Amino acid sequence: MSYEVMVGNKAAATACKLARVQVASAFPITPQTTITQYLSEMHANAEWDFDFVNVEGELTSQVVVQGASRVGARTFTCTSGPGLLYMHHPMQTTGSGRLPVIMAVVHRSYKGMQPDHSDLMSQEWTGWSHWYVEHAQEILDTLLMAYKVAEDPRIRIPIAVGYDGYVLSYTAEPVEIPDQDLVDEWLPPPKAIPEILPDKVDPSTFGRGWGGGDPQMAWKIHHDVILKIEEVHKEVMDSFEKTFGRRYGNAMIETYKMEDAEVAIMAMGTIAGTCKAAVDRMQANGKKVGLIKLRSYIPFPNKDLLEWGKKLDGIAVVDRSICPGKGGPSFQKLRDTLFDLKDKERPKMLQFHAGLGGKEVRVRDFEMIGDKILKVAKGGKVENLVTWV
Amino acid sequence: MSERITRVQIPMEEMGITPGSACQGCGAALAARLAFKALGPNVIRHGIPCCPDTVTATPQVGGVFEGGGALLTGTSRGLKAIGREDVLAVGFFGDGGTYDIGFQGLSAAAERNEDILVITKDNEAYMNTGNQRSSSTPKYAITSTNPVGPNSRGKGQPKKNIPFIFAAHYVPYVATTSVAFPEDLIAKVNYAKGIKGFRIIIIQSPCPVGWRFEPEKTIEIARAGVQSGIWPLYEIMDGKDFKLNYKPKELKPITEYLKPQARFRHMTEAEIAEVQEDTTSKWQNVLKADEMGRVVI
Repeated sequence: MSYEVMVGNKAAATACKLARVQVASAFPITPQTTITQYLSEMHANAEWDFDFVNVEGELTSQVVVQGASRVGARTFTCTSGPGLLYMHHPMQTTGSGRLPVIMAVVHRSYKGMQPDHSDLMSQEWTGWSHWYVEHAQEILDTLLMAYKVAEDPRIRIPIAVGYDGYVLSYTAEPVEIPDQDLVDEWLPPPKAIPEILPDKVDPSTFGRGWGGGDPQMAWKIHHDVILKIEEVHKEVMDSFEKTFGRRYGNAMIETYKMEDAEVAIMAMGTIAGTCKAAVDRMQANGKKVGLIKLRSYIPFPNKDLLEWGKKLDGIAVVDRSICPGKGGPSFQKLRDTLFDLKDKERPKMLQFHAGLGGKEVRVRDFEMIGDKILKVAKGGKVENLVTWV
Repeated sequence: MSERITRVQIPMEEMGITPGSACQGCGAALAARLAFKALGPNVIRHGIPCCPDTVTATPQVGGVFEGGGALLTGTSRGLKAIGREDVLAVGFFGDGGTYDIGFQGLSAAAERNEDILVITKDNEAYMNTGNQRSSSTPKYAITSTNPVGPNSRGKGQPKKNIPFIFAAHYVPYVATTSVAFPEDLIAKVNYAKGIKGFRIIIIQSPCPVGWRFEPEKTIEIARAGVQSGIWPLYEIMDGKDFKLNYKPKELKPITEYLKPQARFRHMTEAEIAEVQEDTTSKWQNVLKADEMGRVVI
């Protein structure tokens, strides 16, 4: 084990090295750019045996890792904002192909250069699992866990790990780097499923393609397997803690000071860190507000949130994104989940939009959010369901 | 460069399992049959949206239309990573996937000199969707998006010179060939599969439905294309060394190629003369290049 003060993008590149990624491919885009530079340096210095393909666009980088993953190589790609939108078409092929590709999404708004979660949120139909992380250590650890989950024969689904641009990508903090031997033992080399090498392929697949069977079945299988990620992700979090001594909640969510909480704020990414400071201040003032950090947006932690929903009087959901004309994605998904509770069990809910286009979210903003949800939870009138912070 | 072979040297073993859902007289189905005979079993075939041709006994990977060059890159790099460089990543694409929507990714793969082989069955339009124009469609050809009317004489622009564009990437091998010259086609695939780096072979593959001729005329028309000089058979090594593989003493008149195809039926004498003049002058260029043994790019 060693320590290094590093920026978020270096943590991502370091995770590639620890995971012994075999083929990485990327196209530079701010704020992801320096990952491509770290990987190029690591490749030039032969830090481990891997291939880095510097390509002419994000669409190509996504397709390159697809091809390499299909023959059984461990792969990595990364992008931001508009680059992710450009990848949209091949991303669905990676998902449908059940290829265990791992991608770091360094959030960048698509209205401007600064971070929000609109980029990854806009890709929710591509058939990937979407995770959101808060700090540099969590980037490194989560990318390692992502390989373990994605390559599990029960899963075989690509995973996007999102972290906020600038505030994480270009900001340094101390990061603990696990021992390579330990990672090697914990994360064995991947396998191609199915095998497509000419001497290993199943010849009955030749010419298979169009027609036959129930055309909806491919969608159902894809949906069911993504739901199964919840179970495997929790298992992997337990084994990660056992091996490396760190954990992030139960994998799907990470709670902060929720023991005596009457209401919760649900948030994702770096602003969840800001919220922790607000929770400290509010609890010091006797306000029973805690934090639920959402780590996995797809699949959504329905079971955990139903449990919390029963216990709580109110939940304020902070979305760092909006689908224009439709609303905040995690708020809508949580409301949908909590519909299953009995009327008197169901907590009050408020929706907040914060940090879009990189707008600064301060500790006192979260205190305002906490006050509002406390008031509503104690029987106060909901004046505005939606608040722009 | 490729070594001449005779017909008896064409492998007997078929890699094709079934003709897929190709039309009668499909040039592309024949192109696939011949090319995969020469390639043999140790390949991973890559397909992107295009006409169905011949289903082959090879592992197959499909990808997005615009991603042919990238997909081959990924497979080739992946094979290297797992220590299986003996397996060849082959793309069998149409002219849309090569000249148009797939061009950016292929150009980039060529520039990176990826270790891949691209074979294009060039039927000069988007035949899979019903004969819409591509940048491979020749001038004056009628397509379903270039009908003839007061505003249109068929396609208004010449066919894109894709072999020379790829040669200008200074890649190890660029070749043109035709389904009417199976020895030439197989010799070129043989040579390409034996070398490393980016290789591309464009096979002119007549389409009876889109070019509008009787299905039994596929070979005749392909042959007339080569003998009239409109589709010369050549190869370019490393973007400089040039060899013209078929040199008739005298070119056949262009009418022998144009007349049997109803896509050119509306052409006036003046328009035919223009195509004749253009073909002759381009033929002089390839003759000159052949004489020098090199192209100036």
